[in-house]
This record gives sequence, structure tokens and C-alpha cells, in this order.
Amino acid sequence: MLVTSSIYELTSVQVRLGSRLALDVESVTIREGCLHILIGPNGSGKSTLLSVMAFLTKPDHGRITFCGSPVNWSHKQVGHLRKQVTLLHQESYLFSGTVMANVGFGLRMRGVDQKEVRGFVEHFLAQVGLTGFQERDARALSGGEARRVALARALACRPQVLLLDEPMAHVDQKSAEIIEELIASQSQAGTTIVMASHDEHAGERLSSSMIRLQEGRIEASDHKRV
Amino acid sequence: MGFIAESVRKALLLILSGSPDVVSAVWTSLVVAASSIVLASLLGVPAGICIGAGEFPLKRILLVSLNSLMAMPTVVVGLLVYALISRQGILGSWNLLFTPAGMVMGLTLLAVPIVANYSVSAVRGADSRIVSTALTLGATRIQSLLQLTREVRFGILAAIIAGFGRVISEVGAAMMLGGNIRGYTRTMTTAIALETNKGEFAYGLALGIILMGMSSAINALLTVVQEKRRCS
Repeated sequence: MLVTSSIYELTSVQVRLGSRLALDVESVTIREGCLHILIGPNGSGKSTLLSVMAFLTKPDHGRITFCGSPVNWSHKQVGHLRKQVTLLHQESYLFSGTVMANVGFGLRMRGVDQKEVRGFVEHFLAQVGLTGFQERDARALSGGEARRVALARALACRPQVLLLDEPMAHVDQKSAEIIEELIASQSQAGTTIVMASHDEHAGERLSSSMIRLQEGRIEASDHKRV
Repeated sequence: MGFIAESVRKALLLILSGSPDVVSAVWTSLVVAASSIVLASLLGVPAGICIGAGEFPLKRILLVSLNSLMAMPTVVVGLLVYALISRQGILGSWNLLFTPAGMVMGLTLLAVPIVANYSVSAVRGADSRIVSTALTLGATRIQSLLQLTREVRFGILAAIIAGFGRVISEVGAAMMLGGNIRGYTRTMTTAIALETNKGEFAYGLALGIILMGMSSAINALLTVVQEKRRCS
């Protein structure tokens, strides 16, 4: 049995959206290099949990540690942490402009040289099966292509943790297969992945740990690779 | 009827002959309006983006204040700036009264709420995922706001055009702060007011035709920009 260290530890984390308690997690541990799947119905808190892990939503209560260090939510620390974690939203937003500009966005934010950006973009577009799409208008892509571009954009940041909010939802079969293969290969390469999904069988196919959410609470979790 | 036809004929002749007084008034209007809108954009666009995208206490009050300032009578703005730059005012030593710079100051104050308000609308109408997407891809808060600005650029451009439309056609503050000095601070609007009072209807009409042409061009541009905004 492979034992890995924890990358996230969430303790007594609560998030309120208006008057509703959207997330009420007693304890969650995310292991480094593992693939975790969040399973639960709509409104169970999956997206909120991912948003907290992406350091986009500050919990109203609770404690989070990342790589063993407590998160204090200062602008400086959060800015630093966001460079290590990338979230692929459920409904990905592509910026206006070309596919090249979109996939290279995270790299430019990290100060990568424009020539290098071009090389990385070509590499990650090839990974999602969109070779030659660099100069296409990002807004003119099909739903499946747009999702793959968004995934390439997230991967191009080479994050330590990849957070995916239902990446295979509402895309064509071909795109879903490419995305799932890529998730599996990224996981095997050692990237920590947390993925929200409705697909009960995704966990078996991807050999991942399952975390079940219901009404913002964790019902059950199993750690296959822990 | 004969009077109007004769005035139109004279007005067109004045325009076509390039009358120095007409050219001077048009040039002063353009320079003062362009300078005002540049300054108003530098102040209003960042303010509008920060107010539109930010969440902070008193935001609602700030939005209501901006809306109220948009409806502020131009002569009141003229009066306030006059109080500032007249000899007894706190900026009296700068000698800005009855200069193009003084007019720019007043017109900038008029345009800032318009540019800021339209920028707020552009930002609030934008997709809420823009900033969070940029942040999760490693952008800083400022970089994410710059990306937001890029995404709503047509809305921002519409804000600037609307502000320009307001200042180019303004008369009250321009008259009070510029003094309507021929060849120096006389704009199209102040010249129209003065010359019509003097009975020089054809001259006023000539400037009116040019001003109408400009206003129509600005509105056409605004329509094109708003169309682009809807498509983007």
C-alpha cells in the first residue's frame, strides 16, 4: 500500500452562501499525488469545496493547511498558493481572443517568455488533441473543444494540484474520452487531482479515492491509494 | 421660410469656405473635449472597474452618488469649478479662469461620473467567471482586473464615447469657465449661443450643422460599439 503525505487538511470548514450553509466539512484530507473524486448530487457542496481548495472562497469558519502550512488567507499567501493550484470550472470561461492567448494565459501570468509560451501551448494543445488550433478564435469552438482548451490552459500552468469541476459533463463522447485519459495520465505522473463528478463509475475507472458529499457534509470517503 | 433658406445657404458657404472663426471654434471644441475625455477616462474607467468588480462597505451609496452626479446640472459644475479657480478660490493662483485649461477642468468633472457609471455597468454585465478564472490561472488581483477590462473593452469604449458626446455638446460650464473669448476659449456651443443672440443666425447655424454632424457620428460609433459588445 502506497502512503503519501497530505497536501490539504480541512478541519471544521464551513461556508455560508447567504443564509444557507453550503459546506460543513468536519475533516477532509487530500493526499499528495492522488486522484480524489467528489461524488454527490447537485447542491451537495462539491463546487464550493473546490472553490475553497482553489483559494477563491474563504471559509466562514474552520482551518485549512496546504503542504503542512496553515492558510491565513492574506493576499500575499493566497496569491502565492493560487499559482500552485488550478481550478477548471464546471462551465469553463474562455477569454476573447485566440486559443493561443487562452492556453498561454497562466504562463504569461507567471512571467514565462513569449517564445517559450508558444512551445508550451503547442505541447498542451497536442495533449488534448487540438494540434493546430493555436490561431482559432476561442469563442468559435464547439463545447467539447472549448472544454479541452480550458483543460489545456489549466495543465499549461503545471499546477501541483489540479481541481476539476465535472470536466466530462455536457461534452461529446470523443472529448470526454480524451479528458478522462488525460486525467489518468496526469494522476500517474504525480499531479494531485480533485475532481467533482456525478459519475459513480469514474472512481473505479480512474482508480481514485471517493469522497461522498450530501447537503454540504461528507457522508463517506475511501482512500484506495492511501 | 426665405429667412431659413437664406441662413442655410449662408451657413453652408461659411462651412465650405473654411471661415477662420468657424474653424477656430471647431478646433477649440475638439481640443477641450478630447483633453477632458482623456482625463475623465483616466479617472473614471479605473474607478468604474474597481467599484463594479469590488465588494466593499458603502458600495451602494457610492453607486447612488455616481448616478446623482450624472444628473448634476452643468451650470452647477461650472459654478463649483469657478469657485475653485477664480481669483479668490483655492486654485486662484494658477490663473485657470477663462482659459482652455479651466474649461477642461470643468468638463472633466462633468464626464467622470458618466464614464465611471457606464464602466460600472459594463463590469456588472460581464461574466462573473472572468475574474475567478484569471485568479485560478495564477493572475494577481490587478492582473485579473486588467483581464476583466480587456473582456469588457467595448463597454468601456462605449462609456468613453458617451462621455465625449456629453462634453462636446456642453455649453453652461464652458461659457462660465472659458468666458467665450474669440479664438481662444470660444467653442461651437458657446459660439452658437452668442452669435444667435447677436442675430448672426447663419454663423450659429453653420456651427450647429457641424455639431449635429459630430453628434450623429458619435452616436453611430456608439451604436457600432454596442453592437460589437453584444456580439463579443
